[in-house]
Amino acid sequence: MCFRRVALRQWCILLACALASVTAAADDPKPTPENTIHVQLAEPVKPQAFSRPLKFFLVDVIDRSGSAQPMMVFKPRGGIFLDHTPSDITRAGLETCLKSANMLAADRDSADLLLTVYLFNFGLSDSSGMDFFGKVEFAVTLKNPKTAKSQQITASGTSIAGVAVRKKNIQKNVQEDIERAFADALRNLLRGVKLRDAVAALDVPPDLPAAPAQPPAPPPTTAAGKPPAAG
Amino acid sequence: MKIMALGTLAAVLAGTLPAIAKDPEPQFKSVEAKHFPRAEGVELSPAFSDYLYAELRAELTKAKLFGQVLGEDEVVDAADAPKSLVIVGTITEYKKGSVVKSELIGFGAGMRSLKVDANVARRSDQQNLTAIHVHVKVSPRWDEKIMARAAAKNIVKQLKNSLKAETKPS
Repeated sequence: MCFRRVALRQWCILLACALASVTAAADDPKPTPENTIHVQLAEPVKPQAFSRPLKFFLVDVIDRSGSAQPMMVFKPRGGIFLDHTPSDITRAGLETCLKSANMLAADRDSADLLLTVYLFNFGLSDSSGMDFFGKVEFAVTLKNPKTAKSQQITASGTSIAGVAVRKKNIQKNVQEDIERAFADALRNLLRGVKLRDAVAALDVPPDLPAAPAQPPAPPPTTAAGKPPAAG
Repeated sequence: MKIMALGTLAAVLAGTLPAIAKDPEPQFKSVEAKHFPRAEGVELSPAFSDYLYAELRAELTKAKLFGQVLGEDEVVDAADAPKSLVIVGTITEYKKGSVVKSELIGFGAGMRSLKVDANVARRSDQQNLTAIHVHVKVSPRWDEKIMARAAAKNIVKQLKNSLKAETKPS
């Protein structure tokens, strides 16, 4: 009888835990047309001019943020969601900017430099509570397909926007904040000294013969690093 | 008579409004704020420097002292360099404060405080135009990022004053 009562109690606790977890899961905001925002550049960022006209090809944009819900940018008040993944938005933004300056290669083969973007942060970051702090951060690997040499540069963009009380205004402020941070990050990349230096280091003038992609194998060495003695 | 008066008013408005609406030409074409590194021993979260940088840029944009607020390490034309400023600085001191001290003693005791030193230089010749020292004190209950906001406001205010003093005819 006593054992039966304990078992009943355990079942009740289990049921209560299950119900609590179900309600907690129900509290997670879901994307709807009302709480979804569309982030895009207000106008394309004009890239800097290089010593010779160059063509870039965007190979891939990889999300390295580690976020379980990359499209949710704001959790309270029913949540705010992006309509596309941060990778898609970044790809579209970067391609628009390069296309506007006639720097986007049609395909991989015709490109002077290949770009691979690793996205670390896209959306809102911790703020003081009195404003929204938009932050976009990524690293870009530039690769010269002719020489197979590559370099990595980082870019980041930040923006501050005021808080609001009404949901509609919160959504508007968050959208503007992320758009500004995104534009700032692209500007930091395309007009930055880091890109200029990386391009200067990787670019090979077209009249010079390119170095072979695979260097010849070095002569066999012993474990000590010395070439084996003849005979 | 009424039509004449209205006509005169319209003419006066048409003449003066464009002059009012036109913003004065900024003294400097652009300004670039750098991230402020922390001095040795300053224990602040890594995000603080980013937040201070963002607040500083927001305040510089609001102040309308410069034609453009550039991003960090942005390429500037050599022709524009004499009309461009660079703000560099360091977070020299941060005291976490104490809620107990603040409650028991009061009169500013136990306040959370931040000290920032900044230099404003001309891009072309790296000539130092002004040195800014900011000391911000807030309640120990407040978030550290509120200090960043206050510090950024203070830096821009001091910069505005020094630029005004420089342009005033002696």
